[in-house]
Amino acid sequence: MSTETQTTAVDRGIIERIRASPFLSQLLSNRLAVTGLAVIALVVALAVYARFSYDLEALLTTQFGVNPDEAPPSSEYVFGTDGQARDIFPRVLYGAWYAVLYGTVTVAASTVLGVGLGIVAAYYGDLTDNVIMRTMDVLLSFPSLLLALALVTIFPEELGLWRAVGALTLVYTPRFARVVRGAALKVLEDEYTDATRALGATDPRLLIRHVLPNCLAPITVQSTLNYGLAIIDIAALSFLGFGASPGEPTWGMMLSNGVEFGLFSGAWWWSFFPGLALALTVLGFNLLGDGMRDALDPRMRETVD
Amino acid sequence: MVSKQFLVKRLLLLFPVLFGVATVVFAILHLSPGDPAVTIAGERASQEFINEVRGDLGLDDPLWQQYVRFLGDVAAFDFGQSYQIQRGTPVSQILANRLPITIELALLGEVAGLLFGLPLGILSAVRQDTLTDHLTRVGALSGISIPIYWSGPLLILLFAQFLGLLPTSGRIGSAYFVETQTGFILVDTLLAGNVAAFRSAVVHLALPVVVLGIYQMALISRMMRSSMVEVIRQDYMRTARAKGQGEKITIMKHGLRNAFIPVITVIGIQFGSLLGGAVLTETVFEINGIGTLLVDAISRSDYPVVQATVLVFAVLYTLVNLGVDVTYSVLDPRIEQ
Repeated sequence: MSTETQTTAVDRGIIERIRASPFLSQLLSNRLAVTGLAVIALVVALAVYARFSYDLEALLTTQFGVNPDEAPPSSEYVFGTDGQARDIFPRVLYGAWYAVLYGTVTVAASTVLGVGLGIVAAYYGDLTDNVIMRTMDVLLSFPSLLLALALVTIFPEELGLWRAVGALTLVYTPRFARVVRGAALKVLEDEYTDATRALGATDPRLLIRHVLPNCLAPITVQSTLNYGLAIIDIAALSFLGFGASPGEPTWGMMLSNGVEFGLFSGAWWWSFFPGLALALTVLGFNLLGDGMRDALDPRMRETVD
Repeated sequence: MVSKQFLVKRLLLLFPVLFGVATVVFAILHLSPGDPAVTIAGERASQEFINEVRGDLGLDDPLWQQYVRFLGDVAAFDFGQSYQIQRGTPVSQILANRLPITIELALLGEVAGLLFGLPLGILSAVRQDTLTDHLTRVGALSGISIPIYWSGPLLILLFAQFLGLLPTSGRIGSAYFVETQTGFILVDTLLAGNVAAFRSAVVHLALPVVVLGIYQMALISRMMRSSMVEVIRQDYMRTARAKGQGEKITIMKHGLRNAFIPVITVIGIQFGSLLGGAVLTETVFEINGIGTLLVDAISRSDYPVVQATVLVFAVLYTLVNLGVDVTYSVLDPRIEQ
């Protein structure tokens, strides 16, 4: 058998699996969700491109003499230049890298923490469950951005935007814990759990091989929705002055500088384009997350009749 | 009606939550790097003076003693004095002055969100899967994706700079002086009978309220739509139609009441995002509520103010959710179980 036929066989397998999965086929038939997916793919591609083709040093330093400062968008400077005569276009692209990087770390960290806590709480129940979930409840009783603001202060300033990542991870973890605990409890009630246990499966094996895979769908939806939130919240923290260091090409910082120094002296493009990139990226995640939720929750489906 | 038992149970549940919230706030402040004594004494103060300040603040006591004292103070609404922002002023007094400003802004934002979000959600549900529906849904998703710190400045640029229709910042024109009675500027100007000042306040608050309301509108219309879509298919709706009742009356009389119940929950859960949005809105429009107070206090290491503000935000959020739960159980008594 040649390698070529092998890959087609694999491909067909994947397509069949997608067809067989009501979740994926539902999702892919949702035009808005597919649009969201396309936006996210584009942002990730641009982020990776910017990361490997631009020199960060050059984007950070002032470019007086090289470029005009506060030049409006033109064919040469597509998004214009800022008050330090830096070309805004490559900075916005590099901002995508920061958004994807910090967003991914935030969501990944809170997912792992939340999933761990949620599953442990559901499985061990009683005191363990109470201690974990009551702690999560307390964290959930703070408005999220405000808790993040307060939490940023516990990290040393040298960490820069990683402070925002740390704070938001702690803020988002309880949401995952709650969702996962609920899903895990449902799985644990099922008879096949008892059967697996009767066959001699150990706790970790039962949790990882049986409980976790059955919680994947709600976890994925929660992660996607929180991805958009993480990007918008990280930018909000840098807008409020906590996180990014001045000059760093993150969307939040560019937006903050652009509003403070450029917007009312006429240089609207300084803050407009970073903000647009931010809003479109977040919209992408919200479109996808929304579609996922519809696909997951049959009651929310549009075409019931 | 709500049973007394349910109310008492919900109220009792408040205490462990508030206790937990106070503990978290205490922990955050003690985990923060930086020495409050140095902040108060000043960077250039002598070591003896810093030690003296530390002794006065009780920072040399064992941690558990500080914790117990903190809980006692919180229970007595004593948050100490501001280190930096208004040096020596009791924090509770600063909060009392600033809290109404934020509450007024948040309430107006919520009202704006309901005013536009409910009709849009109903429209979207009634015209399900038409162009109107798609546009409203994409609009709502955009509404929750656009950051306040982007839309706010852009609207200021458009309405204040280019069109010159609205002021750029603040709550009221600097020419007006209105005695503070309730702290709500719209109420105070009316109580003073100063129509010109009232008009100035309305004009000043218009943009902040719109910016804050967009997000709430988006959330509410989304929830209203999905809730109404379900209600429309219920048997009692068919019965109402079969009785010969017009579609409009059926939707408004039977549909709205039932579809509104899940929306109330969303309002409660999203009250946190409303408060977060208020902080950003206050920053963008230079409004001196507790949002800007918190941001200032954090950047200037004014720990007592940070503690108190975060606590107040959490308590507000918790109380609103309690209110939502009670309202919910009034509208749908089944929920008590």
